Amino acid sequence: MKLIRLILPLMLLLPFAADAQCRAFTKNKVLPLLDGYVQNDNYNSAVLVPGDEAELLLTFYSGKEYRVVVGSHPVLGDIEFEIVDTNDEMVYSNKTADNKSVFDFKMSNTQQLIVRVRVPKQDTAFSHEGCVTVLVGSKEK
Amino acid sequence: MRKLNWMKPALAAFGFCAVLSACESGGANTNQPATKPNVDSLEMIKKEELQKIFFSIPAPVEMASLIKSNGYKYDAMLLNSTENVSKYTGEAKQAINLGVYGADLSYASIFDQKQESMNYLAAAQKLARQMGVDGALQDDMIERLNTNQDNRDSLIKIVTEAYTDLNGYLKENNRIEVSALVVAGGWMEALYLSTRYSAIKDPALKTRIAEQKLSLEQLIKYFDKFGEKESLKEMKADLMAMKAVFDEVQMSDGKTTSSKNADGSFVIGNNSSTTMSDETLKKIETLVAQLRSKYIA
Repeated sequence: MKLIRLILPLMLLLPFAADAQCRAFTKNKVLPLLDGYVQNDNYNSAVLVPGDEAELLLTFYSGKEYRVVVGSHPVLGDIEFEIVDTNDEMVYSNKTADNKSVFDFKMSNTQQLIVRVRVPKQDTAFSHEGCVTVLVGSKEK
Repeated sequence: MRKLNWMKPALAAFGFCAVLSACESGGANTNQPATKPNVDSLEMIKKEELQKIFFSIPAPVEMASLIKSNGYKYDAMLLNSTENVSKYTGEAKQAINLGVYGADLSYASIFDQKQESMNYLAAAQKLARQMGVDGALQDDMIERLNTNQDNRDSLIKIVTEAYTDLNGYLKENNRIEVSALVVAGGWMEALYLSTRYSAIKDPALKTRIAEQKLSLEQLIKYFDKFGEKESLKEMKADLMAMKAVFDEVQMSDGKTTSSKNADGSFVIGNNSSTTMSDETLKKIETLVAQLRSKYIA
């Protein structure tokens, strides 16, 4: 317990340090995956741990070509990401695409879709945390 | 959000304990039933916190892009003058106008207006400094814009990067409410700009304006997550006033389908349709102009 009392104050500071790293991670590791597309959403990045799930509701416009990128720190393993409609009907899962972190598609109608990201649980004594970023870009005509 | 700030370290501490087996074996509370509700409430708080971080509506660049692709000309007179930057006081007004300048910057960059883009980036930086978030927009951005003057793609990339950076900085520095106001200000300005063109004669632009109903609903739901925060009250009331008009827009959707084209590309659709009367369009044009005038004054 003494060890924990010593370590805990340091651990309290960690999420803030990790948050600051997420912006750099997004810029250096995830943004380049949008090459050829214009990024057209806000910043969506957070420190997640195994078992965490995050969702992002997005509006996609008809006739546009999109790229969704889900970037994550390698320590988190293969992130699962899926796209479902607002009735929770599955449209795409990266499980069927070798856990790819990039998905390109075109919209024939304007509609809202949900990007759902899941960090797989890990069977280890220590649980790691890492940044997960979702970016959306569209092709500029 | 301030209430939640202390929870973040608490969550971290909790997570740290949860993953350390030493905590489980040596902890005095292991067998106490009272710990279970705490776990649930912490998980709930984390979920709510993530919902505040993972939020998105299409950035202003999307509307600017549509205006340009429909063949319209750049009109500098439509934009909020950069000379107004010094008169904005109070965090809410500053945040909204940071969003307004962000949208104007996107519009200028999409139309390849280099000097105007630099002017608007400088105005946004000045406003960010006034708000005490000067770390949100990097100092070298104007220099990078200057260096990449001949490359429109680079110009757009730098501008969208600046918008992301600003949003990211605010979220990471526990200024999520400020970030919400920036996004709302940017959305309103992009809508204002699109309504200044003759949408009544342009079905594509008219439809895209009508479809802003979806973004508006998202925005309102997002504002709802912050409860009755004083700083968000005025904007939320204005968004609700806009919703009352946008409720006249008819939207229908069908079953979502996804298919692969012969070239392997993925296509998603749901046979949705959007209908808006000219009368409703005029109401939107008038209301957004009124609200925008109030905020940029």
